[in-house]
Order: sequence, then structure tokens, then C-alpha cells
Amino acid sequence: MIRVEHLSKSFNGFQVLKDISVEYEPGQCNMIIGKSGSGKTVLLKNIMGLMQPDSGEVWYGDRSLSSMDYQERQRQRQKIGVLFQGSAIFDFATVLDNVMFPMEFFTDWTREQKVERARFCLERVEVTGAEDKYPGELSGGMQKRVGIARAIALNPSFLFCDEPNSGLDPHTSILIDQLISELTKEYGMTTVINTHDMNSILDIGDRIGFIDGGRMIWQGNKDNILETDCQELKEFLRANTLIRNMIG
Amino acid sequence: MIRNFFESIGRYCLFLKMVFRRPEKWRIFWKQFVLEADKLILSSILIVGVISIFIGGVLVIQTASNMKNPLLDRMYVGYMVRESLVLEFCSTMVALILAGKMGSNIASEIGSMRISEQIDAMDMMGVNSAGFLVLPKIVASILLSPFLMLLSLALGVLGGYLVVEMTEIIPTAKYISGLRYSFNGFYIFYSCFKMSLFCFFISSISAFNGYYAKGGSLGVGYSSTKSIVVASILILMFDLIVTQLMLY
Repeated sequence: MIRVEHLSKSFNGFQVLKDISVEYEPGQCNMIIGKSGSGKTVLLKNIMGLMQPDSGEVWYGDRSLSSMDYQERQRQRQKIGVLFQGSAIFDFATVLDNVMFPMEFFTDWTREQKVERARFCLERVEVTGAEDKYPGELSGGMQKRVGIARAIALNPSFLFCDEPNSGLDPHTSILIDQLISELTKEYGMTTVINTHDMNSILDIGDRIGFIDGGRMIWQGNKDNILETDCQELKEFLRANTLIRNMIG
Repeated sequence: MIRNFFESIGRYCLFLKMVFRRPEKWRIFWKQFVLEADKLILSSILIVGVISIFIGGVLVIQTASNMKNPLLDRMYVGYMVRESLVLEFCSTMVALILAGKMGSNIASEIGSMRISEQIDAMDMMGVNSAGFLVLPKIVASILLSPFLMLLSLALGVLGGYLVVEMTEIIPTAKYISGLRYSFNGFYIFYSCFKMSLFCFFISSISAFNGYYAKGGSLGVGYSSTKSIVVASILILMFDLIVTQLMLY
């Protein structure tokens, strides 16, 4: 479980996150939604530990990030898988080497065991026959899949996805969403997804937090989001034509 | 501006602290070391070799044309060419050339990884990205650059010899006896030391600028240019300091 308590963050005097508190449960797709510039990515990076909050705490189970020393934080990170917005798969490595990368560092497996595990992860995300290709030879959707395969290579307890559908066609977006949702349930991971894709929100959003102006002003799930009374969220939802027709 | 300068120095020191942490796995470090040695040093042999041969030849012509006095033994042409090559050209001038080639290579490679979130991906896996990406570059450039200096010296002397042979500007025997005249082995050590020090500056400063690059491809270009400028200035400054300390 991840718990965020009273988290605030500012840049050059401009407060981007204001007193955010939220909890994320294992086995659920937890979504952070909001307009561009609302602070979603900053919140995600603070939760992941890539940024330091000005105040507040992020708890992984019973340990807070700020109380961890360098070694402990590095160990904690080995339990985390991340899918970045641009996939962030390594240019210098083939698809297979990308997926094997974390195994090289944190396991004592033989080469055969690593290759077997990497192939399993690639099959799980339906990437086959591309093991020896470099990232530049792959489509955006394939890169995302390889990114997911690398993220789950060491069976992480936590999965973070920063706009997993950006730049993808609707069909591939749905496939990526389903994949993330299936893996979350299958491995019991605590998954946090940062998105403004309405299809994803309504499809896999087990728990949804809406950020506006740096504050998390609404929390709910895909079943009650359309009945919300929150005006800012309604405005956000109305931006999608299909939903505008549904909620009026 | 002064505050920025001291902030940069502080960040550079903290960056070096990250870089010089013990590698997670030595096997991976040595693998990277070999790759970097090939990419940074072996690939520089051609440009260093070509420049050294031509500079050696030019030095012979320039020195001979400035020693018209019949009382001066022509042997001193060879002597002065050798001393110029050992003391200044093969370390300082070659280092300035490498600042352009190696510096832009390192800064753009690491900068591109930064802006495409590949460094964040490594950090989130629990890998010390600075150590993995930068330490092998620094170690390879420090350990192997003296060989580049020695190669440059040999080829510079050869370039001079070819010019002497082709133009008969001075008798070949005089050139060779000049090369052998009053040889001081300490100068070779001094030049190798300078080369290693300069290559440390080139690799660490370029890596530092690339590691903290921001603002997309423009930012990568800026970090690359900045690396070359800063490294070149430091090379010239420390050339003066080291020369004063070691030769006077």
C-alpha cells in the first residue's frame, strides 16, 4: 500500500501541489487525473521519489520515503516498476537486453534464466520476434509494451505509469490499458496511473483522484465519476464529447 | 551569476560523489569500461594521429625557418620539435581536440538519455545511473588517454621525419640526433599526467552537463557546447597551474 500525507511541492515560489493526501491499495488501478499542468506528473514523481516534496510524507507500507537512507531507497526501488510517458527504453540495448537490464543488476541468475524470464515477460505483453531489435526500430505501441515488460521483469510490488496511452491509437490504447489492469490483478501490484484519457479512466479506474490547481479535490471510482457533483471535474469530463452527451 | 557559479561547483561535487560510489556489480562496470574505451579512446586514434603527423611536419618547417643563424647547430630543430611535442602539443593541444570530440559525444549521449527519461528509468530501477553511465567513461579516459598522448608523440615525431626526408630542410641525421639530445624522461610523465587530468575534466564535466540537461534537444545542444567551452578553459588554466607546480 502507498499512503501520501499532506504533500506539498512548489517551484520558484509557485505552488504546484497543495496538501495532497491519498491512499493507494494493492491489486487496484489507481488513477490520477486532471488537466495538463494540474500537477499530475509532479505528484507521481514525488510518490516515486524522483522529486523531494517541500512538506508531507509518502509511505510505502510502514516506511516513509524520507526516512530511508540511500541504500534502503535503492532497495525499495527494486520493488518498483515504472512505465514512462515516452517508454524510456534504452537506446543502447536491444529489446531483450532492455528487459534483462534490471535482472543483470539485481539477480544472480544465469544468462539462460535471465533470457527465459525476459522472453516470458515479452510474451506476456505480446511482443514476440523483436528480441534483437533496437528501440528505434519499434513502433510507439511496441515500445510501450517493451517498457511494461521491463517494468514487470522483477515482479514489482508497485507499478507507476505516466500517461501510458499518450501518442497511441485508440485500439493500442485499449490493449495497453487491459494489459496494465490484468497485470495489476495478476501480481497484486499497487498500480498508480497518471492519465487524462477518458477511455482508460472509465475502463480500468478502480480508484480515481482528480487534481485541479494542485489540489486533489475529488476521489472516487469509475462507477461514480459520472454522477459527481464536483463542478471542476464535470467541466473536465465535459471536454470529452461522448461523456458530454452522457452527463449533459 | 556568482551564486550560480558556486551552485554549479557544489552540484558538480555532489555529482562526483554519486559517480564514485561503489559499482553495483563489477562485472557490469568492466563490460562498460571496455565499451567506453572503444568509443572514447580507440575511436579518437584516427583524428589524433592525422593531426599529430601534420603538426609534427609543420613544427619542423617552422622551427627550421626560424633558425637561420649558421652558428646554431641544425640538430636543435629536432630537439625543439621533440620538446614542443612532449611538453605542450601531445597533451594540451590533443586534450583540446578531445574536448570537442569526446566532450560533445558524452554530453549529447547522456543529455539525450536525460530528456528521454532513460536516466529516470535507471534511477527508478534502483540503479545508480551516474555510476553506471559516467564512472566507466571517466576511468577509461583517465587510464587510456596517456597512451593517446604517447601515440601522438610518436606520430608527431614521424610527421617531422617525413617532412625532413621529403624536403631535406635539414639533414635527416641531424633531425634524429636532435630527437635524442638531452632527453628528460620526467617530461613524458609530466605530459601523461596532464593528459589524464585533462581527460578527467573533459569526461566529468561533459557528463555533468549532460546529466543535468533540460529543455529538450535545444538543452542537449546547449549542454554539449557548454561542456566544450568549460572543459577547454579548465584545460588551459590547469595547464598553467600544473606546469608551474611540476616544472618550475
